[in-house]
Amino acid sequence: MELKMLLIISVSAIFVSNFVLHRFLGLCPYIGVSKNLDSALGMGMAVIFVMSIASVVTWSIFHYFLEPSPINIIARCFHKNPPDLTFLRTIAFILVIASLVQFVEMVIQKLSPGLYRSLGIYLPLITTNCAVLGVSILNIDENYNFLQSLVNGFMSGIGFTLALILMAGLREKLELANVPKSMRGTPIAFITAACMALAFLGFSGLTIN
Amino acid sequence: MSRFKEFTKGIFSENPVFRLMLGLCPVLATSTSVKNAIGMGLAVLFVLFCSNVIVSLIRNWVPAKIRIPIYISIIATFVTIVDLVMAGYFPELHHSLGLFIPLIVVNCIILGRAEAFAGKHTVFLSIIDAFGMGIGFTAALITIATFREILGNGTWLGMTIFGTGFEPVLLMILSPGAFLTIGLLIGFLNWFEHYRTVHHS
Amino acid sequence: MKEIIKYALILMAVTLTASGALALVNHFTAPKIEAQKQKELSLGLAYVLPEAESGIIIEEKLNETVIYKGYANKDTTQLTGYAFSAYAQGYSSRIWTLVGVDTAGLINRINILDQKETPGLGARCTEIKSGDKNPWWQRQFQEKNAQTISVKNDGGTIESITGATITSRSITNAVSEQSRILFNNLNHQE
Repeated sequence: MELKMLLIISVSAIFVSNFVLHRFLGLCPYIGVSKNLDSALGMGMAVIFVMSIASVVTWSIFHYFLEPSPINIIARCFHKNPPDLTFLRTIAFILVIASLVQFVEMVIQKLSPGLYRSLGIYLPLITTNCAVLGVSILNIDENYNFLQSLVNGFMSGIGFTLALILMAGLREKLELANVPKSMRGTPIAFITAACMALAFLGFSGLTIN
Repeated sequence: MSRFKEFTKGIFSENPVFRLMLGLCPVLATSTSVKNAIGMGLAVLFVLFCSNVIVSLIRNWVPAKIRIPIYISIIATFVTIVDLVMAGYFPELHHSLGLFIPLIVVNCIILGRAEAFAGKHTVFLSIIDAFGMGIGFTAALITIATFREILGNGTWLGMTIFGTGFEPVLLMILSPGAFLTIGLLIGFLNWFEHYRTVHHS
Repeated sequence: MKEIIKYALILMAVTLTASGALALVNHFTAPKIEAQKQKELSLGLAYVLPEAESGIIIEEKLNETVIYKGYANKDTTQLTGYAFSAYAQGYSSRIWTLVGVDTAGLINRINILDQKETPGLGARCTEIKSGDKNPWWQRQFQEKNAQTISVKNDGGTIESITGATITSRSITNAVSEQSRILFNNLNHQE
């Protein structure tokens, strides 16, 4: 039962409710970094990593510190009724994500300076990637447990990367195509995205029984 | 730049959605109806205004190295205020906009303007910039929403436009319609810009 | 080293001020938000338990689940029916349905209180046609046996929304499953 739920979450995150093509999360890097396949892949990997870690860290912070539930730290240590701090969710989550991205930046700079250079400004921009904050909030809204949040974060990252790589592949071909002058660049990218979104709509109803 | 130009640049020449390509996620997600578009636009305008004012006020005391986390904290505070007030007083709008209200905090426009403008200019100019960008964003949102709602639902702001014989193009309300609308609009604006420069020279 | 401490202190001061401001705003809005939720629930309950209109609806906990009992008079002598929440995993959202049944197990009305399904497809489960007062799709649940209800595709009597079989099926199955749990618990109580 648990495994089935995780499978459903995975299929949903990658195909049925793809983060970019269905939920509209992660669009800025989607349009900005999808010009060539290599940087798209690098960005995708970074985002998967950040989304997975952010999912579990924000989940933990919410359930152990903010929400007045029996596992709240204050309930556990002081045996008192913990205050309802859920209104601090947005600010806590975004600060955690910002720190996480800072950390990932330092790691990439050390491990792969080439990737660091090619990602350029888009690496710190992962902080403002709606997908990261989006998946953190979605995990809470859908009442997922720890493992489900981790899987959702990881799989949503995969869905994002999938859409990104598909778009990068298409755009590389589009560069050589005869596009009308006013449609060159972003407009035709959006039209392409429209076709991809249409294709992914075909996954609606895909479920595991 | 004159004060008036400062204001209009946000609406036309530096429109955050159509020219700067910032804040796209909420634009595509909340443009399913004009009512949602106005709600989201006003929420963003409010946060943009408040954050620009505060960032501009403290600009001489913020250490450059930690300015981004400080800006983020300020923006997150105002976004949470909007979230709470909407949940309490406009529950229907809060429900339709859903996830995208807290996502205002990662709207590139707000952080972008704080970093690029409010942190370096006076409070008065920052207010003008906030209004210009905010209204430009809202106008772009309403434009896209108008196309999507009229074609996809046959209504505008809830009022039926076409008669009962109109078969709405469901695609416009769904995600492909959003991408299609914004792609065609930007393409049209590019063409219009090119046409203007050709005919003015 | 001193710089890092200074930066950390400034950041802490900023976040503490922010949290303080938010706590203040929350103090004023939290009661309003809570009141909204309660109002939505009580309006929903009144709709699904119409015979309890001049009586009273009492919340009870039955085996870990919350149910509502409707009485025709305020002194809880005449039980008219039960109401309960059924949650369904729809196509793109968790759908919250309030179901009101009479004591024989027939549905009074259902009331879908929360859904974020696809507009024009699954979202039509709460669509109200012009001139009507209530959602048309939910009307067909009235007077049916709550425990055996299912969509036509599964051999039942509920007509699915065109193009939204998932949403229709999820809601219908959630209603039947939850009502089976309810009557199971009620039987064990006796």
